[in-house]
Amino acid sequence: MNNKLISLKGISKVFKVGDEDFTALIDVNLEIDSGAFMSFVGPSGSGKTTLLNLIGGLDIPTTGDLFFKNIKLSSMTRNQMAQYRRENIGFIFQTYNLLPVYSVYENVLFPLLLNGSKEKDAQDRVMDIVNKVGLSDQIKKRPSQLSGGQCQRVAIARALVKDPVLILADEPTANLDSKNSIQILELMSDLNKQYKAAVVFSTHDEKVTRYVRREVGLEDGKIISDK
Amino acid sequence: MNWSIAKKNFSRQGLRASLNVLVTALSIIALVFMLSLLNGFQAQATRNVVSTDVAGGHYRAPGFDILSPTEWEDHTVTIPKFIRQLDNNDKAEVLVLQGQLYPNRRLYPVQIRGISIDQSLLKLPLNSLKNFSKNIDDIIPAVVGVKMAKKAHLKKGDTLTLKWRDKSGAVDAKDILIVDIGDMLNPRIDEGVVWLRLDHLRFMTDRKDQVSWIAVQNYIGPVSGFEFQSIEFLMADLLALWRQDRINSKILWAILMTLVCISVFNTQMLNIFKRQKEIGTLMALGMDSNRIVRIFTLEGALAAIWALVVSLLIGLPFFIWFQGIGFDVSHLSESTLPIRETIYPDYQPMEIIYSLVIVFFLIVASSWFPVKKITRLDPTMALRGRAIK
Repeated sequence: MNNKLISLKGISKVFKVGDEDFTALIDVNLEIDSGAFMSFVGPSGSGKTTLLNLIGGLDIPTTGDLFFKNIKLSSMTRNQMAQYRRENIGFIFQTYNLLPVYSVYENVLFPLLLNGSKEKDAQDRVMDIVNKVGLSDQIKKRPSQLSGGQCQRVAIARALVKDPVLILADEPTANLDSKNSIQILELMSDLNKQYKAAVVFSTHDEKVTRYVRREVGLEDGKIISDK
Repeated sequence: MNWSIAKKNFSRQGLRASLNVLVTALSIIALVFMLSLLNGFQAQATRNVVSTDVAGGHYRAPGFDILSPTEWEDHTVTIPKFIRQLDNNDKAEVLVLQGQLYPNRRLYPVQIRGISIDQSLLKLPLNSLKNFSKNIDDIIPAVVGVKMAKKAHLKKGDTLTLKWRDKSGAVDAKDILIVDIGDMLNPRIDEGVVWLRLDHLRFMTDRKDQVSWIAVQNYIGPVSGFEFQSIEFLMADLLALWRQDRINSKILWAILMTLVCISVFNTQMLNIFKRQKEIGTLMALGMDSNRIVRIFTLEGALAAIWALVVSLLIGLPFFIWFQGIGFDVSHLSESTLPIRETIYPDYQPMEIIYSLVIVFFLIVASSWFPVKKITRLDPTMALRGRAIK
């Protein structure tokens, strides 16, 4: 059985910074399996976030091909790319990026509504996920009323609720203290086992490396290790 | 779903949305107020000239020109019987001749204006002439306007000499008594004008049944021996001034609209600018660009609708209240403009409606434009808050 979820072949990404070209990724070749629990590690500017954005369909490579289950992402239209993100990808951001005027419940519900579910059909699913991340007593609160750790749990619930095949977490513990970081990592590890979604972190937090099953090292836009 | 998301986003923005709505509403109120005041000024001045002088037009003696005083004596005609029989509410007979007044040993060239005392077509403060019962063999009753009185240092009860020429050109003179100082509203019938009863003036100048013109309520067809001059003709100078003023008011409207535009656009841009990350998040969650644009445009439309509602709620009582008290322009009473001490705004529904429609579409456009721009870029730019700077 082909277990390959994502394939990157000769991916490079060049950004224009003023008049200068900045090369974020150089000839990256990589494969990610279904159900993976892995991380991209490296110093700032090594290309971790760029790689995550390309895999998540938020950006397109300058050269090279990127495949999702053998479907070429780089030839998709903007709307197809949006559909790809909507149906397959869950994002967790360093700054949580929760919708500020929505409650915990509404933030978690939102991806399901985007996928065409009716609220009454989605309620149980939302409550189940919110329970799993331990926020059932905060359901009516808005992001501004929650702590950083709680916000990140909401972001995890929002990423998981639509049952994606891939969750991309960009520095999810960067804004959290040690205790909250460990709780979040344990939670994600459990959910990975439970929901079978592949989870890819970008991080330079050493605590993350204790939890992941695979670690891809990046430096100056190149893969320097894969273990 | 788009509508419910837009409604939720808008209603939960709290202070930010409220300030946005309030700023726009106040801009709308200021716009409507300024335009209405300008309209009120013009409408009031026009009304004053019509009600005190022009009425529905003049049947004038051929060749009579108010700007040629030396020829006034040569251009009088006898009033036809059928016009004389018109109701006092439908006509006002006027005889205009030149004269000299001698206030405080000074010579003051004046327009002697005799008007049929029973007329009720023109609204003039001449009741004192009607009530004066003295024989004019002794003294002639006269009324002057406030401006004239001020300029010639006249007051009620003053007696002074008036000199004129009669029909045959002989110079005659007699004392006149200022029986009243009247507020004429219209400077053209105030400054340099001495008002007498028409029967007195005819008697003084031996011009039985003669008039310079007859002001009428409505055009009654061609009248032999007279030229009809319409409101437009008689008010040509004022209307030309208004036309120029309308150009100025269009410029003022454009300036006000620009200020409203800048205010609205700035508020909306700032709002969208602060929500770039939110837009990026929606893109990351898989919402397609067109839908994001639709939602934010709907939010803009909601803000616009609320701004219109709030401007109505705040503006309507204010406009009604202001309609009652008016705007004090007593500092302009010294000017040559035919206005009262107070201007009352004149609300033009069409002008207000198209101004509001423009503001509405502007708000919608200023919501649509930046979001459209953001959604054309990569979601990563929006997520970093760098899509618009």
